[in-house]
Amino acid sequence: MYGGGYIFDEPNGKQLREEQQHDEPEKLAAFEERIARGEKIEPGDWMPVEYRRQLIRLIEQHAHSEVIGALPEGTWITRAPGFKRKLALIAKVQDEIGHGQLLYNAAETLGKSREAMINDMLSGKSKYSNVFNYPAETWADVTVIGFLIDAAAIVNQVANAKGSYGPYCRALERICYEESFHLKQGHDAFIELAAGTPAQRDMVQDALNRWWQPIMHFFGPPDKSSQHSEKLMQWKVKMASNDEMRNQFLESYVPKIWELGLTLPDPNLRKNADTGRWEYSDPDWDEFFRVINGGGPCNEERLRVRKWAEEQGRWVRKALMNPGQKRAMPVA
Amino acid sequence: MSNNAALKDLIIKMADDELILGHRNSEWTGLGPVMEEDIAFSSMAQDKIGHAWALYRILHEDLGGEHPDRFAFIRSEKAFQSSHLVELPNGEYDFSLMRHFLFDQAETVRYESLQNSSFAPFQLLSKKVKGELKYHTLHADAWIMQLSNAGEESYARMQTALNNTIALAAGIFEASPEHEATLIADKVYPGEKELYHRWQERIYPVLVKSSLNLPDMSTITPVYGGRQGFHTEYLQPLLKEMGEVFNLDTEASW
Amino acid sequence: MSNDSLDPRVNRLKLGAAGEVIKVEEGENWNVYEVFHQDKRGAHHEHVGCVHAPDPLLALVFAKEQFARRKKCVNLWVVKSADILAFDVEDEDMFANNLEKTYRDASGFKVMEKINKFKQSK
Repeated sequence: MYGGGYIFDEPNGKQLREEQQHDEPEKLAAFEERIARGEKIEPGDWMPVEYRRQLIRLIEQHAHSEVIGALPEGTWITRAPGFKRKLALIAKVQDEIGHGQLLYNAAETLGKSREAMINDMLSGKSKYSNVFNYPAETWADVTVIGFLIDAAAIVNQVANAKGSYGPYCRALERICYEESFHLKQGHDAFIELAAGTPAQRDMVQDALNRWWQPIMHFFGPPDKSSQHSEKLMQWKVKMASNDEMRNQFLESYVPKIWELGLTLPDPNLRKNADTGRWEYSDPDWDEFFRVINGGGPCNEERLRVRKWAEEQGRWVRKALMNPGQKRAMPVA
Repeated sequence: MSNNAALKDLIIKMADDELILGHRNSEWTGLGPVMEEDIAFSSMAQDKIGHAWALYRILHEDLGGEHPDRFAFIRSEKAFQSSHLVELPNGEYDFSLMRHFLFDQAETVRYESLQNSSFAPFQLLSKKVKGELKYHTLHADAWIMQLSNAGEESYARMQTALNNTIALAAGIFEASPEHEATLIADKVYPGEKELYHRWQERIYPVLVKSSLNLPDMSTITPVYGGRQGFHTEYLQPLLKEMGEVFNLDTEASW
Repeated sequence: MSNDSLDPRVNRLKLGAAGEVIKVEEGENWNVYEVFHQDKRGAHHEHVGCVHAPDPLLALVFAKEQFARRKKCVNLWVVKSADILAFDVEDEDMFANNLEKTYRDASGFKVMEKINKFKQSK
């Protein structure tokens, strides 16, 4: 589901940019021309060190977000009401794991093993989308996540699918196809509550109120404060600015919430008829960074659960390990 | 068909087993030992819940039973007829895999027998699930054989898992004292005793290839009771959890 | 034993301490197999991605659910990624078409011209 729109910076990002100066200028020029012509870059191609690192970082964070994203919704797997909802939710959480699988494979083509990526996630070195550090308190939360967070992810992923790295684009194509099911089942469950009993309506309104800020955070800080975007845009690693994507999301989905008579907890939220753009109160960005750095309500639980899962599965993996075998990264 | 009460009894115990085990196995979704297996195991959990749904629908549409959602999510623990095997918590992956292997082999011989059932909806359903079950047993057999042949720790785990589940799995084949003779006479299915034998013939070759020791079946005491409404301590909390949202308002649409 | 999670599944797990260091060993996720998907009989098998698996049989078992649980599929192939042989990207120039090799193309043969010439000569 969830490509967090915001790529978390690595602490040693500056050092990487220095390394990049060692890239050969002719090759760099040919590489950049290729991208400008709209060609895809494939695993065996020459690429700048910085391009490779940024892509690994981006795809890996996207993959972690899928795997961790399976947890808040997984919260309701055993309690989903009725057969259809129960099966749809299991299938959806299963898809998140499937997306993680596709994305780790795409990142592996760049030379970092799945094991190394998992380790960086478990140690906190590599981040995942901040939105999953919030709890899914009621069944209505599942519908809000399934509808709106998947919608936000689609905005981001459709943009990234037009990027320059072949394996990532191919993975995203398949992911976007499955996301359309997620969005539809989320929207369906959301409408069911919104059009339901007064108690069901209260439940979904309450969930919206709690999730609105994390959703506004989803696309990352405003463009004016975002760093190192220009080169990534030129290389088609980042395909749209944070504000652009946020605006696109608001344009498509705020009307779908309002048409159900539900409200959003921001009195300044409106579309400016003159500019055609959405206006909103700035969400609390201090909170955003506090949560990224471990201060969110669920950061600790998410990692403890992932560690449990890795530890539980270890004997199974180790039993069938074959250290003598020739290993290779995925070819495409 | 002549005897609705007997048919209902058979359908309910089959469906309850599938629902409860599907529910248990779905707890692994997102937490499996490796991503690929997580996905495969989750699909099979969905299939099981899907089979339960299909059976409750037969109950509802052909035999005048309640709506499947209400029947599954509101019914009292006493009215459930699941076997003890499916009720137990997941434990570690060895236990979950062994239960999956023993149960799905049992499910396979049962549905195979229903291809010739005198009850038409059983014929239809058994055709529908045939391919799914083929995959389930392919998956289960592959895992049991590989892990049993993968070194001491792994072998010991699988043998222990087998020892701990075999009597419970034999309990799947608990016949109804009241209805069994009717179901056999009416050619609805060949009966639990016959299925129990067919099941042993299925699991035995896999266990041999796995070098696992199947306990002497004549000495084990199958764990019965579930079909009569006597359950483990684990079923009640499971049902409470499963129905938590649905029971906030059983008249509402979710 | 509660972990104070909102997730009843999680509350049943014996989670480790918050700061616990867990490391996955290199190779623990096994080997990589490429997956080829055939969507109908008679069609080519097309590459769709890969799975991590300890052996070809489990690779096939995994590929079935990861790559064919939605899309129409009648068969799958798996092959170890390490066994795939491909050209280097730098060798792309080998594939450049030599425009002079017209004898390989239909357009290299001017049949109509010859027929017309023959007819005119009558």
